[in-house]
Amino acid sequence: MNVKKLINTKTQDGRMFLALGVVTVILLVCCVAPIGIYNKHIIIQTMFYAYMATAWNLMCGYTGRLSLGHSAYIAVAAYTSLILYRSFDLTPWLGMLAGGVLAMALMLLIAFPCFRFGLKGPYFTLASIAVMEITRYLLTSMRELTGGSLGMSLPYVKDDLLMFQFDDKEPYLLIILIFWLAAILLLWKMERTRYYLEAIREDDDAAAALGISVNKNLIKAALLSAFLVALGGTFYVQYYRYVDPTTICGSTMALNLALITIIGGSGTILGPTIGAILVIPISELLRTNLGDKLSGLNLFVYGILLIVMIIYMPKGVISIPGVLKHKLAARSAKEARGEGNG
Amino acid sequence: MAETILQVQNISKSFGGLKATNGVSFDLHQNEILSIIGPNGAGKSTLFNLITNFYRIDEGDILYKGKSIVGLMPDQICKLGITRTFQVAKPFSGLTIFDNILVGCLSKSATVEEARSKVDGILKMVKLDKKADEMGGRLTTLERKRLELGKALATEPEVLMLDEVMTGLKPHEMEEMMAFIMDLKKRMTIVVVEHVMKVINTISDRVIVLDHGTKIAEGIPQEVMNDPQVIEAYLGRSASHA
Amino acid sequence: MIALQILASGILLGGIYALISVGLNLIFGVIKVVNMAHGDFLMLGMYAAYFLFTGLAVNPYVSSIIIFPVFMVIGYIVFRLVVKPLLGKAETETNTILATSGLQFVLQNLVLMLFTADYRAIQLDNGAASFNLGGIMLSANRTWAFLICLVLAVALYYILMHTRLGAQVRAVSQDRDASVLMGINVDRIYALTFCVGVAMVGVAGAIILPIFSAYPTVGAFFSTSSFVVVVLGGLGSFTGALLGGLIIGIVETAAGVFASTELAQVFSLLVFLIVLFVRPQGLLGKGARV
Repeated sequence: MNVKKLINTKTQDGRMFLALGVVTVILLVCCVAPIGIYNKHIIIQTMFYAYMATAWNLMCGYTGRLSLGHSAYIAVAAYTSLILYRSFDLTPWLGMLAGGVLAMALMLLIAFPCFRFGLKGPYFTLASIAVMEITRYLLTSMRELTGGSLGMSLPYVKDDLLMFQFDDKEPYLLIILIFWLAAILLLWKMERTRYYLEAIREDDDAAAALGISVNKNLIKAALLSAFLVALGGTFYVQYYRYVDPTTICGSTMALNLALITIIGGSGTILGPTIGAILVIPISELLRTNLGDKLSGLNLFVYGILLIVMIIYMPKGVISIPGVLKHKLAARSAKEARGEGNG
Repeated sequence: MAETILQVQNISKSFGGLKATNGVSFDLHQNEILSIIGPNGAGKSTLFNLITNFYRIDEGDILYKGKSIVGLMPDQICKLGITRTFQVAKPFSGLTIFDNILVGCLSKSATVEEARSKVDGILKMVKLDKKADEMGGRLTTLERKRLELGKALATEPEVLMLDEVMTGLKPHEMEEMMAFIMDLKKRMTIVVVEHVMKVINTISDRVIVLDHGTKIAEGIPQEVMNDPQVIEAYLGRSASHA
Repeated sequence: MIALQILASGILLGGIYALISVGLNLIFGVIKVVNMAHGDFLMLGMYAAYFLFTGLAVNPYVSSIIIFPVFMVIGYIVFRLVVKPLLGKAETETNTILATSGLQFVLQNLVLMLFTADYRAIQLDNGAASFNLGGIMLSANRTWAFLICLVLAVALYYILMHTRLGAQVRAVSQDRDASVLMGINVDRIYALTFCVGVAMVGVAGAIILPIFSAYPTVGAFFSTSSFVVVVLGGLGSFTGALLGGLIIGIVETAAGVFASTELAQVFSLLVFLIVLFVRPQGLLGKGARV
């Protein structure tokens, strides 16, 4: 790997590494700075959603197969690691992997027939929602195992890395930072696959004609995406120490990931992170400051934001510099022509 | 005679009750240009789709370099060296022209870097080098056709199958495209589906005529054009009797 | 006897599902847009009927007459603001799904902020709670809902099949571009279809209020059911939606009797997935349009 190229901010890779570096340094500073628990909580949440949306984007943004049921995979892993911990004292680190494998199995069960039968557009989205609904009904009905609709809490024992439990916020912050960095670097390393997925998104016949195995790449992206959000599911349980079917396996969670990705820029490496940084702190502030009285306000604003973005900026905030550059270039070309005529 | 690279043996395909391709056979020789012609609905594009397995054949066999390729997925067939274009060009609209070509180059490159190094050459070849940063969705008809051709060439095919690359082009653009295709012949074997008779006469080494899914004639262009069966297929029964 | 009872209750429930999904189906069939906020318009209809009932003592069956035009207007506003800007652009299908999902957030939380998350139910005073039909018990409210569904279905069918406007709507649904060439104002048909689709589901909300409580997220439950019904029957197929409603109604009633309500939902969703895979055009899709 050419190190010089990576730190050259004129290349795309260089800019990405600069961004990763900046975020990492800021978060490390936040860890030691006296900024208060609440602010640290907001930062953890932001990074959690940045990570989750990055994982969602890996499948949905790059392949154009819009899943609005990703909550199913998050929930499967969250419940798996929690139940394994409660029943067998299994460390959540291993439970997380087990959850990841289960989430991938569930994804395979649905992705294989979806892609095999060429389900696209609204049909794929509806299928993804159906899987989420089924998962939620099952989680709610298996009361002995999951606690039903009341949810299940994580018994807190002690500050212990092995048990993925901490008194302070900082360890969680570091862990989610590592998750996020790993996801971004993984996505960055998959350059060839990213091109394949984008080609498939634009036109799967044309992609196949150029030697791209459409189903293989779609399934690869789907499985990886399910696995990554599953890891996030366990993080969620360990951090909030409580999980219930409606919150973790509902459409709000799934739509959140879509919204964040679209606001930032879907089908780009850093788009989801930018989206999370823009959306989560605002939404969190709205929620805590406006209290019970307007408890729906943050989601109400979310909805409006989503509609406005889809209509006016479907490529997300990340596309702004490109659009501006294009406009400037067009204007200067126009001026040049104007002078030529005059 | 040059070596045979592709053998199509008695292939058939039905859609519902309609026989779209009916027992078609032909051989393709190394470094020739073979034209497939026929009236609208004769099954020309279907034949492309069958060879590249976008549609699965009902009967028959297709041998590439002596080995059957029936049942292979379209992407595997491309990897073996047979690349086709589409009648309606399918650019990746959301990607830049550069990336469109790059996606093609990836199929025969070990690394993305290697693929990237090949793109400029192909862009120059199809005269899109000045448009490298434009989006695939914003091209004129001619540019779309060129991009379609460029993407196919990027996969470094041994057999290139071109589906109506001339349609919609102006006469001078057509001349340009013909010269380009004739030049490609030195490096690969080419199958074209075409409507424009002038093009067929100029570039083809051999011609196959399809009508209602059946091969009705095969030979050098001048011979085939004078075949009464062919005239009848194109102009209808009355004309051939006149 | 129990089988007959299940059949009867299932048919009544199916009628309600069909009633709820007709609007969704109309919008998908003509505009090719999946309205994810469909269930939330149902919720709005329920709230409208609730306040008309508690405030002005208007019977929900009567308030439908007020709700229909009001929801046409709501539909028009939503169409102009949310759907229209996305039509004819890149990735219309996905973008309309996302935008209407956003609308879902907006409507649910608007109602949450205005009226809190409390469940709101009404008790109708219209004689017997159920009819006894030779030993089979039919809930009065459900029977009324079923009958109104039939009337609306027949009316819509008549308009689609036997009026000039209906012919235009069908033409647009089959081939948008050809319709433009035939001089049909496609934009107007789209707007009208969306308004009628929203108005139909608004009315459905009023009619089911005596049966189900209203709360901000009640739409989510019915949204899923409508999608199941519509996909089962064939997205865009009118009679298909009726058939899909009846099938799901009977299946859910039976599963509810022999297992639990939750498993009944799981079961109908599984049927839904299988239909999506095996026959995405639905039981009566494409070949048997209208």
